[in-house]
Amino acid sequence: MTFKLAFRNVLRNRRRSAITLLVIVFGAVGLILFGGYKARTFYALRESTIRGRIGHLQVFESGYSKKEAQKPLEYGLDDVTSLRKSIERDPRVKMTAAQITLMGLISNGEKSETFIATAVEPAKDHAMNNQRVTAGTDLPANESDAVMLGAGLAKSMHAKPGDYLTLMSTTTSGSLNAMDVRVAGIFTIGVKEFDDRAVKMPIAGAQQLLNTTKVEKLLVFLDKTEDTSAAHSAILGKVSGIEIKEWSELAPFYHQVVALYNGIFGFLGIVVFAIVVFSVANTILMSVFERTREIGTLMAIGTSRSRLRAMFVTEGVAIGIIGGILGLTLGALLAALINRGNVMLPPPPGYTVGYRLQIMLQPAVLVTAFLVSFVTATISSIVPALKASRMKIVDALGHI
Amino acid sequence: MTSNPLVTLEGVGKDYRLGRVRVRALDGIDLAIARGELVAIAGPSGSGKTTLLNIIGCIDKPDAGRVVIDGADVTATPLHRLSPLRLHTLGFIFQTFNLIPVLNAYENIEYPLLLQKLPGRERDARVRRWLEEVGLAAQSKQRPDQLSGGQRQRVAIARAMVTEPKLVLADEPTANLDSDTATHILDLLATINQRTGTTFVFSTHDAALMQRAQRVVRIKDGRLDAPAAAQAA
Repeated sequence: MTFKLAFRNVLRNRRRSAITLLVIVFGAVGLILFGGYKARTFYALRESTIRGRIGHLQVFESGYSKKEAQKPLEYGLDDVTSLRKSIERDPRVKMTAAQITLMGLISNGEKSETFIATAVEPAKDHAMNNQRVTAGTDLPANESDAVMLGAGLAKSMHAKPGDYLTLMSTTTSGSLNAMDVRVAGIFTIGVKEFDDRAVKMPIAGAQQLLNTTKVEKLLVFLDKTEDTSAAHSAILGKVSGIEIKEWSELAPFYHQVVALYNGIFGFLGIVVFAIVVFSVANTILMSVFERTREIGTLMAIGTSRSRLRAMFVTEGVAIGIIGGILGLTLGALLAALINRGNVMLPPPPGYTVGYRLQIMLQPAVLVTAFLVSFVTATISSIVPALKASRMKIVDALGHI
Repeated sequence: MTSNPLVTLEGVGKDYRLGRVRVRALDGIDLAIARGELVAIAGPSGSGKTTLLNIIGCIDKPDAGRVVIDGADVTATPLHRLSPLRLHTLGFIFQTFNLIPVLNAYENIEYPLLLQKLPGRERDARVRRWLEEVGLAAQSKQRPDQLSGGQRQRVAIARAMVTEPKLVLADEPTANLDSDTATHILDLLATINQRTGTTFVFSTHDAALMQRAQRVVRIKDGRLDAPAAAQAA
């Protein structure tokens, strides 16, 4: 009977209940869309960071992170082939890719600039698909002196595909070395500061320039990001003389974005919470005032204070359930429409390329939106319920 | 003197504040109501009828005196602790019917039985019996706004009677009804009183209603007329 009364009382003043439900629905939809956008952004940023740049795990020679290297690749990996074999035996591992990072000067004969190069295995680098080629081609498989230039650096060096430039750097023994390289292509990753200094070259070319056979690190890519910790432990159990870093330690930008978005989401949640609390409390309080005589009657015929409180709290629960369900439905529909709508967002600060707006409908987002609607509507009904249950019967019966 | 009365009031007084003025609504009321009696409390407007009824019905507290209902002294008990007494021992019929608008006739009558946690089958039987008694079996699914004034008061009577209370209090039960409907309602109350032996106490201005009462207690300026007081003593 308590539920029946509550639902019927919610429907009693339809216009007022509709406005309250609308507030809850808008709140829930806002939480779903922003929560889904946040989830999608986190997922996309995480996966693009891992699969396009840093891998799930990075394997280094033991002591790499603690000891200060005096020369390039002083703590590089010597026998990467056997290490790779051991790691790739794990069924969770999708692939491994060797990398070297180095710095130096790049010159066109007239002008020199500093560069930061990433030396990669060309075939593996194609699979990572982390860049957009704006001119020329990707790195060829068997050409150690081919390089790709970041778009900003290429512009600065007046270089185009087919041109020859000179790279200069310090070898592992500390002496200077230089090599001529052919510009195979020009690329961008969308971050101007990076594009202005970036060079990509094959491992073989970097080893030639640094005069070494070592590599700096081995990137390990897994099928599923969720397996990172398990794979980390398994590799450490099988191979000695190495140290491993997980992607989470190597992605400060990802964590900054997560913290920023979580802060915004939390603030949005508080705003929605406050609006829903005031709206539902106002609706139920109005209902209490309008039904004062009815409350007096209910108490006169034997309804206890606790049952009366339960009746009004149940009205809050009913509003929360109806609003939550409508909010979830509308939120899911809007998310589907947005995902199909190919809506493009402008580039974020520091980027040169915009991205597609997508909403990820994760169960956690839907549950959070529903719980916020439900819990806030329920909490909002407590004060009106207390007010109703503390009325004097005679005063309530005499209320006009 | 009434032996083993259902209601006993001894020296009951009640004051109200109207701004700075203190108004004495009841002054030294001594009254005993026997089981099965049909008592009318009569008096002009503002004489204290409703206040007296409210105190007997345990929905208001006296400032002085003692109130005993069915052998229990309820004077010192907070009103919110008396909801079981109101649910099981008392029944109320209001001048303005006071039905729950979102419940239909059946559900309005059923409501106090749900509070009593009566099993479903027994609950249904009682509700149907009282719908028959008040002649509203065909209107059981109708909500209060679909019923006439007389029909609403019949639902209110059924709601008051369905818990089989010992005492039913009715505040001006016919005041909002036309004379024909009022007569029907009076007939119904009198019949129920005779058949079930339930005690009825009602306040009224209505001479016709007073004629139906076994005893008329007259009240003026918060004091009982001498005969009523004498009878109580």
